[in-house]
Amino acid sequence: MSKAKTQAVQTFTPQKPYTPVDSDFVLKSDAAIEVDRNFASQSVWKDVTTRFRRKKSGVVGLWIVFIIIFFAIIGPHMNGYDYSAQDLKSKNLAPRVPGIERMGIFNGDEKMSTSTGTKTTNLYEEEGLDDTYYWFGSDRYGRDIWTRTWQGARVSLIIAVAATIIDMVIGMSYGLISGYFGGKVDMVMQRILEIMNGIPRLVIVTLLLLILKPGMLTIIFALMLTEWVGMSRIARAEMLKLKEQEFVLASKTLGARPFHIIFAEILPNIIGPIITQVMFSIPTAIFTEAFLSFVGLGIPVPQCSLGSLISDGYNSFTTHPYQIVAPIVVMALLMLSFNLIGDGLREALDPKMKEM
Amino acid sequence: MKKYIGKRVLTSIFTLLVILLVLFILMQLMPGSPFNDEKLNDTQRATLYAKYGLDQPVVVQFFKYVKNMLTGDFGVSYNISKNTPISQLIATRLPISIRIGGMAVGLGALVGLVLGLIAALNHDTIWDTICTIISVIGVSVPSYVFALILSYQFGFKLKWFPMLYSAKQAMASSWLPSISLSMFTMATIARFTRTEMMEVLDSDYMLLAESKGLSGRKLIFSHALRNALIPIITVLAPLIVDLMTGSLVVEKIFAIPGVGSLLVNAIQSNDYNVVISLAFIYSAMYIAIMLVVDILYGVIDPRIRLAKEGS
Amino acid sequence: MNKARAFVAAAAASAMALGAVPAVPAMTALADDAANDLSIMMETPVESLDPQQATDGTSFEVIADYTDGLMQMDADGQPVNALAESYETSDDGLTWTFKLRDAKWSNGDPVTANDFVFGWQRAVDPDVASEYAYMLSDIGQVKNAAEIIAGEKDKSELGVTAVDDKTLKVELNAPVSYFLSLMYFPTYYPVNEKFFESCADTFGTSPETVLSNGAFVLDSYEPAATEFHLTKNPDYYDADRVKLSGLDYQVIQDSQQALMSYQAGDLDTTLVNGDQVDQVKDDPAFRAIGAGYLWYVSPNMAKVPELANENIRKALTFAIDRTAIAEDVLKDGSLPTFTAVPPQFATGPDGSDFSGDQDKFKDVCDSDPAKAAEFWQKGLEELGIDSLDLEMVVDADDAPQKVATVLQEQWQTNLPGLTVTLTVEPKKQRVQDMQDGNFQLGLTRWGPDYADPMTYLGMWVTDNSNNYGLWSNSDYDSIIEECTTGDLATDAEGRWAKLYDAEQIVMNEAVIFPLYTQSNAEMISPAVTGIEYHPVALNRVYKDAEKAAE
Repeated sequence: MSKAKTQAVQTFTPQKPYTPVDSDFVLKSDAAIEVDRNFASQSVWKDVTTRFRRKKSGVVGLWIVFIIIFFAIIGPHMNGYDYSAQDLKSKNLAPRVPGIERMGIFNGDEKMSTSTGTKTTNLYEEEGLDDTYYWFGSDRYGRDIWTRTWQGARVSLIIAVAATIIDMVIGMSYGLISGYFGGKVDMVMQRILEIMNGIPRLVIVTLLLLILKPGMLTIIFALMLTEWVGMSRIARAEMLKLKEQEFVLASKTLGARPFHIIFAEILPNIIGPIITQVMFSIPTAIFTEAFLSFVGLGIPVPQCSLGSLISDGYNSFTTHPYQIVAPIVVMALLMLSFNLIGDGLREALDPKMKEM
Repeated sequence: MKKYIGKRVLTSIFTLLVILLVLFILMQLMPGSPFNDEKLNDTQRATLYAKYGLDQPVVVQFFKYVKNMLTGDFGVSYNISKNTPISQLIATRLPISIRIGGMAVGLGALVGLVLGLIAALNHDTIWDTICTIISVIGVSVPSYVFALILSYQFGFKLKWFPMLYSAKQAMASSWLPSISLSMFTMATIARFTRTEMMEVLDSDYMLLAESKGLSGRKLIFSHALRNALIPIITVLAPLIVDLMTGSLVVEKIFAIPGVGSLLVNAIQSNDYNVVISLAFIYSAMYIAIMLVVDILYGVIDPRIRLAKEGS
Repeated sequence: MNKARAFVAAAAASAMALGAVPAVPAMTALADDAANDLSIMMETPVESLDPQQATDGTSFEVIADYTDGLMQMDADGQPVNALAESYETSDDGLTWTFKLRDAKWSNGDPVTANDFVFGWQRAVDPDVASEYAYMLSDIGQVKNAAEIIAGEKDKSELGVTAVDDKTLKVELNAPVSYFLSLMYFPTYYPVNEKFFESCADTFGTSPETVLSNGAFVLDSYEPAATEFHLTKNPDYYDADRVKLSGLDYQVIQDSQQALMSYQAGDLDTTLVNGDQVDQVKDDPAFRAIGAGYLWYVSPNMAKVPELANENIRKALTFAIDRTAIAEDVLKDGSLPTFTAVPPQFATGPDGSDFSGDQDKFKDVCDSDPAKAAEFWQKGLEELGIDSLDLEMVVDADDAPQKVATVLQEQWQTNLPGLTVTLTVEPKKQRVQDMQDGNFQLGLTRWGPDYADPMTYLGMWVTDNSNNYGLWSNSDYDSIIEECTTGDLATDAEGRWAKLYDAEQIVMNEAVIFPLYTQSNAEMISPAVTGIEYHPVALNRVYKDAEKAAE
C-alpha cells in the first residue's frame, strides 16, 4: 500500500499540470526507494519506445501533433491569402471548397436565423465572387480563416512550447539543486516554492499583463513565471530517489563536483518524467493563452493565436458559427493529442503499468 | 499533529504577507491612474489624489495599506461605484460567486468521478478512450464557449433555464453558469480518478480482498473507490481556486453580480483599490483552502504528517 | 478507519456543494411582472447615483429617471420647464431668476431653492472633486465657480442664491446662450441638504439613501448592481404623464446574450452589436439611434516630428475609407463623418444643423487613395525618408478594436512604406497615455456635453487638456475666446458664422482625422412607444414611454 501510494501521486498529472504539494514526494524510509531500477540508458529508452508504440492512443496523439505542426508550417501559404490581409468586400463568407462544393457541402451556403425567420444565403453568389474560395470561410474583415487558423496554431504552439521549455529548465534546475543539497538549502528553497505556490496564478498573470506591453514575449514570460513550480517538484522528487544510488555515490567518491553530478549524471536519468510533464504543460499553456485573449490581454492584432481566433469567433457565434469551428477543433485536437502522448509516455515510463 | 498544524499555519500567514507585498509592488507598477477621466483638470486630479492618500510617499502608503488590508478595511472604490466601501461591494457578491462555484465543483466532481470510474474499470477499451475524449473536450473548449452554447440551447431554444442571472430566481439561473464552469473540474477529476483507480486496482490488498472471495460491486465500491478518493481532495482544492478565475468570464456572460465580473470591470477602469482587494481575497481564499486540505490530509493519512514533521 | 473517514469527508464535501441545490425552489419568473414595467438593457453598471459625482451616461440616465432639474428635455432635446415654473433673464444675460413649482421629495419635504444651492455648491466644492465641475465654471460661467474649484474662494460665494423657498437667482460671468439647456444636466440637479447629511457617507448607495422628486422612485439597488428596479412615483407633480408602472434595468455585458434575451421576450429594448445586425436588420423593431459621439484619430504633432508634417497628416486622413468603416464594419447606423463637429446635435439660430453638410471640407478631408498617395509622397520627400512606423493606441472595447484593425489595413495598403502597430489597452489607460502625450496616433471619441459646437471646438485651443496633439494656432484661439466670453457671446448669428471659421482651421490643418459619428443599433419592442433618445446629456428618457399590454 505504501508503495502504491507514493507511486500514485507522482505519476498523476491532470490536464492542467497538477501542482503537487511537497508532502506528496517525501520518502518514508529507504524501503520506498526503488533501488532495483535499472537506468542503463540504451535499453530503457528502447523499452519505453516499444511500450509507447503498443499504446495506440499515444501514437495517434503523436501523429495528430505532427500533422498540426505540418499545417502550422505550410498551412498559411497554401491558398494565396495573407493572414492579415483584409478584404471588406468579401467578409463573413461561409466555407467553400472547390470540388467538394458540388456535393452540396462547403459550397458557401449559410443558414442564418434572423429575427424575421431563418434564411439561407450564399454571399459568394450575391457578391458575384465566382472564383473565390475560402476553405474555412472568411471573418468579419474578409480575412481567410484557413490561413489564420494555421497561423494561429503556429503562434499558439510557439508560445506554449517556448513557455514550457523555459519552465522546464528553471523548474528542473530548481528542483534538482534543492533535492541534491537537501538540508538548509532545501528548506529555504521549498519555503520559497510554497509561497510561490500560494499565489493564485491567473490573478498574477492578469495583473502582470496589464503592466507589461502586450506581445508574444510578454505572454511567454507571464506563462513561464507561474508554471515552473510543478516541474520543480517532480525534479526534486526524482532527485531524492536517485541521489543515494550507487552510480551517484561512485561519482562522488571519484571527486565529481555537485553540479557535474546533478546535470551530467542525474539529469539524464529523470528526463522521462520531465518530458511527460512537458506534454501536460503545453496544453495548459495553450489554454491559458486562450483565456488571456478573451479578457483582451492576448496577442496584439493583426497577429492571431488560436485563443484570439476563438475569442473573435465567439463574438459572431450566433450569426456566423463557422468562424469559431476551425480554431476550436484545432485547439481541441492539440490538447487531446498532447494529453494522449502524455498518458502514453507515463505508462510507457512506469514499469508498474506494464502488465496492465 | 499540533506541531504540524502550527507549522502549516505559520507558513500560510507568511505567504499571505508576501502576497500583500507582491500585490502592492504590482499596483505601484500598474500604468495609469484611476483619475484620468478626460474631463478632469490638473487641480481636480491633485485634489482626488490627496483625498485618497495617493500623494503620500510609497512607504507610508504601504504600511497604511497592510494595516488596512489585515483589518479588513479595503478602502473605497474609485471608479466602478464611486466612494462605495469595497467591503460592501464584495460582501454582496462573494456569496453568489461561492454558490455558483460550489455547484460547479459538486457537479464536476460527481460527473468526473463516474467518468473516471468507467474509464478505469474498462481500461484500454473503447470506453476508456471515450471517457478520455469527453474529459479532454471538457478542458479544451473554453468555458465561455460552453457558456454560450448552453445559453443558446437550454436558455434560448429549449427555455429550460433562464439565460441571465436573476436574484429573483437565484437557483434556477445558477445552473447554466455552474455547468459551464464545471467542465474543467469534471475533466480533471475524471482523469485523476482513472489513474488512482488503476493504481488501487493493481495493489496487493485488492488482490488480497479478491482472493478472500469479495467480488464485483462490493470490491470496487467499498475497497477500491474508497482508497482512490483520498487523494482527490488534494486536487479538488486548486480546482476550486481555478473556478474562481474561470468565473471571470462566465460571470460576465451570464450577467452574474459576482466577484469575477467585479474584478474584470475593475481592471478595465483602473480601479486599483478594487483590483488589489479582490486579488488579496482570492489569494487568501486560495491559501485557506490549501491549508485546510493539507491539515485534512494529514489527519486522514498520518504518513504525510509524520514525514512532514520529520523534514 | 482513516480511509473510511476520508470517504465520508469527501462525500460530505460534494453533498454540501450539491445540497444547496434543491433547497431553494425556483420562483416563477414573471410573477411580479404583471405590472406595466419596461425591461431595459444596459451595457455598463451605474457608477454613481450622486448627481454631482456621476460622469457617465448610464448613471445620468438613472439619476434623471428619479430626479428632475429646473428644466427637462422635450422629445427634440429642447429645454422645457420641469421644476422651474417660470424663469426670466436680465437684459445683459448675466442674471437668471427661476420660480419653482410645488414639488415634493419622496420623504415628503418640499423641493426648495435651497436644494439647488446645496447641489450646485457641492458641484464646485473642491472636497467633492466633481469631474463635471467645469459644467458650472467653463461651460455655465456661473459666477465664482472657477475660483471656488481652484480653492480661491469659499463655496458659499457661488453665484447662486435662494431668494426665498421658491425663487432661485443665478449670476453669470458672461452671457451663455445655451444656459437653459444646461439645466437638465444632472450636475445641476438639486440635493436635499438635510437628507444628504443624514445619509453621511452612504448617500446614493441604496434605495434608502436616495431621494426622488421625479417620475420614478428607486426601489431596489445596490452599488454596481446588475439588476435594479424603479417604480412609478405617485407623488410626482406630473404623475399623469407617466404611463409605465416601473423600469426594470438589467446590465448585460455580453451582446449575444442580450439579443437572445430580447428575442426571448425578457427585454423590451436592447443594444445590438455590429456582428448581430445582420440577424435583425430586416426586423421592424430594429433602429439606429444617433449617440452623438464623434470618433476620431488624434495625431501627436508635438512629439512625433513626422506627424508635425501637414502632408503626412493629410495623407493619413485621405487614406481612410470612412464609408467602409461605418457601413461594412460597424453596420450599426454610424455616419461617416468629414467634419470636426459631428452632425445631428447642434442646431444653429437659423434652425440648421451645424454639420449637416458633410461635403463642406471635401478638399481637405475626404476618402481618396490617389490623393492620399500624392500627399504621402510629398510628405516623405519633405522629411527625406521612405518609410514610417507609427503606433496607434486603441481602447480594448469591441467597436474601437474593429475600427482600428480596418484603419491599420487601409493605411498600410494606401500608403506604401507605412507600418502601423496597434496598442490595445483599457480605455482609462488609453486616455491616460494620450493625456501624458505618450502616444503617436490615438483613436478616441468625444461626446457632446451640451448642444453647441463649442463642446467640440473648445477642445483644440492651446493647452486644453483634451487637445492631445498639442496643436496650437493663435487665430483659432482668438476666435474661440471671442465666441466664449468676448463680443460674440451674445450675438448668436455672428458667433455661429465664426465657429464655422474655427472648424475650417482645424480641418485645413488636419488636426484630427474625423471618422464617424456613433450610432447605437437598438431593438425596441413594437409594443413600446415613446422612449425619447438624445445624443446629449440624458440618452434615454422614459417619461412618455408606453408599453402596450400583450
